[in-house]
Amino acid sequence: MFARLKYPRIVLLALTLGAGGIDYAAEPVPSEQAQMAVIASNRDSLPKIDDGSLREVYLKRIFLNSDGRPYIPVNLPPTHPLRNAFLSAVLKMNAPQMQIYWDRRYFQGVSPPYVLGSQRAVVKFVAATPGAIGYVQRCQVTPDVHVILLVSLTGVAPADMLEKCPEAATP
Amino acid sequence: MNRIACRLHRLTPPALLLALGVVLFRPAIAAGDDSPWETDPYQLGQGLYFPQQGLRVGGYADLHYYDLDDEPRSASIDDLSLIVTKDFGSRWKLLSETDLSEAAIITRRGVSTSDATLEVERLYVDYYASSAATFRFGKFLTPVGQWNLIHADPLVWTVTRPLSTAAAFSTSANGAMMYGTRTLAQDDLDYTLYVDDTQAIGLATDADSAYGSYGRAGAINPLRNEFDRAAGGQTHYHWHDDQLTIGGSFVAYELRDPRKSYRLGGLDFDWTGSHVELSGEGVYRTPNGAQTPSEYGGYLQAVIPLPDQLFLVGRFEHFRNSTPNVTDNISTVGLNYRGVAGLVFRIERTHASHEYTGLPSGWFASVAVLF
Repeated sequence: MFARLKYPRIVLLALTLGAGGIDYAAEPVPSEQAQMAVIASNRDSLPKIDDGSLREVYLKRIFLNSDGRPYIPVNLPPTHPLRNAFLSAVLKMNAPQMQIYWDRRYFQGVSPPYVLGSQRAVVKFVAATPGAIGYVQRCQVTPDVHVILLVSLTGVAPADMLEKCPEAATP
Repeated sequence: MNRIACRLHRLTPPALLLALGVVLFRPAIAAGDDSPWETDPYQLGQGLYFPQQGLRVGGYADLHYYDLDDEPRSASIDDLSLIVTKDFGSRWKLLSETDLSEAAIITRRGVSTSDATLEVERLYVDYYASSAATFRFGKFLTPVGQWNLIHADPLVWTVTRPLSTAAAFSTSANGAMMYGTRTLAQDDLDYTLYVDDTQAIGLATDADSAYGSYGRAGAINPLRNEFDRAAGGQTHYHWHDDQLTIGGSFVAYELRDPRKSYRLGGLDFDWTGSHVELSGEGVYRTPNGAQTPSEYGGYLQAVIPLPDQLFLVGRFEHFRNSTPNVTDNISTVGLNYRGVAGLVFRIERTHASHEYTGLPSGWFASVAVLF
């Protein structure tokens, strides 16, 4: 399934998890705050996506998954530290490059990913929207969503700039 | 032929801007109140998005200033463009771009709106057939090079447009297209195949001028490049996470007037380094069995980031025109300021060795907004 590993920072989560979400007990938990989870709705069958394809989805170069269902990637606001970390670790672009890319794509009729105001909004939106994909700190994940990739934030997002993990979401 | 271009002598720019403001900002407030997902507020340059309706409304506008050699100074509102996209279900999408071009030309003698023209620049539907292929039907930008596909003022680095990006082919086509992206060896390959049958479809055909007017009443060279029929393709290969993109284009076509057939090939590239961005395009056009000579040319452009969102831009272009048969060398040096998202301020000096091809020498400046 993940034939090629393009980005060494990305840690792939085994996609043998059940439809009910993550088996937290089976996951190593080095630091909840230092990991970013890429999430999809539990209403979807577990999406088959690798890290390279995730980049294509967020750049809107591919629109449909292999089952023909449209991807709906969502972003955090431009000033959010997690968005900058996602840009750096997954999209391999900085903010000005991304701005130029989306200005051009927008003119070509391709809109940038929908922007939600907070991580909580991302989780709620993804949980309720088939085809949606988002990214949040791992400790923000709820059982309503699948985790399809884990990305280390070490070196791309200072811990003190991230949101404090809520106790309720911590396993 | 379904020409819909019309003159707008009586519409003033302030009235148009006011109308545009009412259309854009009233729904922005409503969207913010109704959204259940804590959406991020509207930002300049992203269009106004109505997620429940799958509707996005945006566009761009620009104000140009010209101080051309041996000509009186002038200014113009070159483009007021409205872009609307609408999703129909998960697989169909409509895009329309309506442009009020040459909306006003301002000289010492006053403001003239006599050249104002309302045009449908693009009007098409996309059908997402699979992860590898999307089909497009309607009027779209001709996929030759990169500039023509992103030619809007806020998106390009200079006020003046390289001749190689417009003079040898129609900048838009009417017909059908198939395009998509495939991953090859960890890099991305974009492909596009298309056919044009403007003669049969004639969808929202406009006056497809080969050269800009740059604040003058009509271009020096009134050559137009409307396709009658065409077929072509384009491919771009992206290396190293888009640091380097190399593309090739091919199109065989018949022009409407003069009715001649041509074959055109093109190459383009874009390289982004730490301290410089290099890009270039070249085209070579040969006629089919006519006495007309070949037409060819290309440009090389460098963009160097300076402090405080300033960019230094330099470009050199060589272009051999066929009608008339002259060769032009054009050099451009300019500055861009991009300190505010969606807004671009530019000033540049251009020197053309032979002005008959339509690009005059002089100073050019502009402010452009993507909204």
